[in-house]
Amino acid sequence: MIIVMKPASTAKQLSAVVARVESVGYRTSLIKGEETTIIGVIGDDRPIDRTQFETLDGVEKTLPVLKPFKLASRDMHPMDTLVPLNGHKVGASKVVFIAGPCSVEGRTQILETAHAVKEAGATALRGGAFKPRTSPYSFQGLGEEGLQYLAEAREATGLPVVTEAMSPEQVPLVAKYADVIQIGARNMQNYDLLRAVGKVNKTVLLKRGMMSTIEELLMSAEYVLAGGNTQVMVCERGIRTFEKYTRNTTDINAVPVLKQLTHLPVILDPSHSTGKWEYVTAVARAGIAAGADGLIVEVHQNPSEALSDGAQSLKPEKFAQMVSECRSIALAMGRS
Amino acid sequence: MAYEKRQMQNEAHLSFNICHLLFTMIIVMKSRATTEQISSVVSRVESLGYRVHLSRGEETTIIGVIGDDRPIDREQFELLDGVEKTMPVLKPFKIASRDMHPQDTLIPLNAVQVGGPQIAIIAGPCSVESRQQIIEAAHAVKEAGATALRGGAFKPRTSPYSFQGMGEEGLQLLAEAREATGLPIVTEAMSPDQIPLVEKYADVIQLGARNMQNYALLNAAGDARKPVLLKRGMMSTIEELLMSAEYILAKGNTQIMLCERGIRTFEKYTRNTTDINAVPVLKQLTHLPVILDPSHGTGKWEYVGAVSKAGIAAGADGLIIEVHPDPTKALSDGAQSLKPEKFAQLVRDIRRVAEAVDRS
Repeated sequence: MIIVMKPASTAKQLSAVVARVESVGYRTSLIKGEETTIIGVIGDDRPIDRTQFETLDGVEKTLPVLKPFKLASRDMHPMDTLVPLNGHKVGASKVVFIAGPCSVEGRTQILETAHAVKEAGATALRGGAFKPRTSPYSFQGLGEEGLQYLAEAREATGLPVVTEAMSPEQVPLVAKYADVIQIGARNMQNYDLLRAVGKVNKTVLLKRGMMSTIEELLMSAEYVLAGGNTQVMVCERGIRTFEKYTRNTTDINAVPVLKQLTHLPVILDPSHSTGKWEYVTAVARAGIAAGADGLIVEVHQNPSEALSDGAQSLKPEKFAQMVSECRSIALAMGRS
Repeated sequence: MAYEKRQMQNEAHLSFNICHLLFTMIIVMKSRATTEQISSVVSRVESLGYRVHLSRGEETTIIGVIGDDRPIDREQFELLDGVEKTMPVLKPFKIASRDMHPQDTLIPLNAVQVGGPQIAIIAGPCSVESRQQIIEAAHAVKEAGATALRGGAFKPRTSPYSFQGMGEEGLQLLAEAREATGLPIVTEAMSPDQIPLVEKYADVIQLGARNMQNYALLNAAGDARKPVLLKRGMMSTIEELLMSAEYILAKGNTQIMLCERGIRTFEKYTRNTTDINAVPVLKQLTHLPVILDPSHGTGKWEYVGAVSKAGIAAGADGLIIEVHPDPTKALSDGAQSLKPEKFAQLVRDIRRVAEAVDRS
C-alpha cells in the first residue's frame, strides 16, 4: 500500500508513521514531493487493515497497490482455468450455452425443456429447485422434488445440470443431484455458503451480486478457491443502475475486465441483465463478441405461463436462433 | 443541396397522421377511494376532453384515459383526492419514435449511409492538439479504414485548469485534415453561440454527454443544417436521451445519430459502465442510427476492442473511437486512446463481427 501524508504534516508525524509500519514487519520507501510525502509499504500487506493507518496523525489517506485477491488472480495463475462441462472445457475455444427455465415447475415442463434446449444446441441444462424470490409470496421452487426432476432430465438428455443452492445446509443435497452448483446474485456475499461450496467436489457458477463490484465478485471467488475448490466460473448478470427501461444494466465492460484480471471462465447471463426477452439475443451476441466463455439463458416452452421470469425467457425456437447467431460471432472471433 | 433534400424526404416520412384514439395514461385510485372521489376524477378527465375507461378490481379501481396526441400533465391528477398514482401509457417522444416512423433514418457520412448495413467508424484524438498531431492522426485512421475523423476543438473538461481546446484554430486544423484525407469531420459545439462557427467547419456537430440536456444548445442544433451526433448523458436514462433528440427533431433537423458512451454506476474499475442494453433498446424504440463510444464507455484502451466488437454484435450502426498517434503524450484521454496500429487491427476485427451479423 501507499500512505499519503497531509501537506501540513510534520517530520515527527512522518517518523511515527514509518515506525508504526516497521513495527508490524514491513519495510518502507519514502518519496518526498514538493507538497507532500508518500510512504511506500513494501511486502504483502493484504492481511493488514489499511484504515488503521488512516487514523494516525498527519496521514491524508492510504491507497492499495496489491490486488486483494490472489488465487483468483491471473498474475498468480496466468493460464486459463478450464472447467469440464459435458465433454467441453469452459474457458477454452468453444463457447458453451447453459439453458433452461428459471424454475423447475413440474416433471413434464423440465423434461420437455431439456429436450428442446438440447436440440437447439445447449451444453447444459439450468433450472432452479430452490428459488430466491424477492417476495415471500412468490413461488419458492419445488425443493428436492425439483432436483429429482432435474436428475431425470439429465438421464433423458445427457445434459449436465446447473442448479442453485441458497444456504450452506442445502449444499450437500444440491451436490448430490447437480453437476454445477450455482450461487445466485443475492448470495454472492453469503460467506458461509461460499465456504460450504469451497469444500465440495463440484463446479461452482458464481453470479455477480447486482450491487457488487468486479473486485467484490473476485473476492467471493477467492473464498471458494481458498476452500480448495478450483472449479469456479464467474457470471456477469447485470447490475443495478438508474436506468429503468431494462431490469438491470449488463456490465459488458466486466467481460474483458474479468478475462484480464482472472484465469476463471466468464459466463454472461443476458436474461437477467436485460430482463426482457427481446433484448436477450443482441446482448448474448455482444457477450460472445466481448470475449465471454459462455452464456446462461432462460428458456421456457411457454413464457406467458412461467411461474417466474416469463418476461425474460426465450421460447425454444428463439433460443435455437440465438445459438446459431452466437456461433457465427464465435467463429468471427476465432472461437467455435 | 443534398442536405435540404434529405430533410424534405424525412419530413415527408414524419408528416403522416397519427392515430387519434390513444391510451394517454392510467390513473390508479387508492384502495380506499370512495365512489365520489372516483366520479370526481372521471369528470375532471372528461372536462378536459378525454374519454375514460373504468376498470374496477377487487382492491382498487383503475381509470384509463383515452385521448389524442395532446400532451397531458399527469401530475395534476395525482393531486386529486383518492388518486394513488398515474402512469404514462404513451411514450413521451414522438418524432424520435419508431412507432411514428418505422423506417430507419439513414445519414450519409463519407461513403457510408449510417443506419444502413455498413458500419461507420468515426476515429481520431480526443482533442485537436496541433496541426501535426491532427493531420498525422487523420492519415493514420483513414489508412486503417475509418469513415470519419473526430477531434475536439472546444473541450468540456471537468477541471477548469485542464486543456480547454484550441477553439477556432482547432476547427481550421480539422478542415485542413479533411482537405488532406477526404475524411468528414465530427466535432463538438458546447454552447448555442458556437453552433454557427462549428457548423461552418464540421460535417457532423457533436453534442457532448455533459450537454445532453442543455436545451438552448439542442434548439440551436435543431436549427443547424448539419447532422448531429447526440451523446447520452452519463447520468441520463435512455428515455431522456430520446427526449433530447426530440428537441432537435422538433426544430426540424432530422439528421441525428444517438451515441451510448457509458453511464455512471458504482463500478469504479472502469471509467463508466457501457450500457450495452441501450443498443438493442434504442434500435427498437427509435429509427435514428445508434453509435457506441467504447473509449468513454470503458475509459481504458485495453477494453476498447472487446467493447467495440460487443457494440457491433449488439446491433450498433457505428463506433466512435479515440485514437492518438502517441497516447502517452495526449493532452486529454490518453488512457483510453488507441495507438494507430491497435486501431487498424481493431477495424479488421470489427469488420469480421459485422459480417457475422450480416453487415459490413
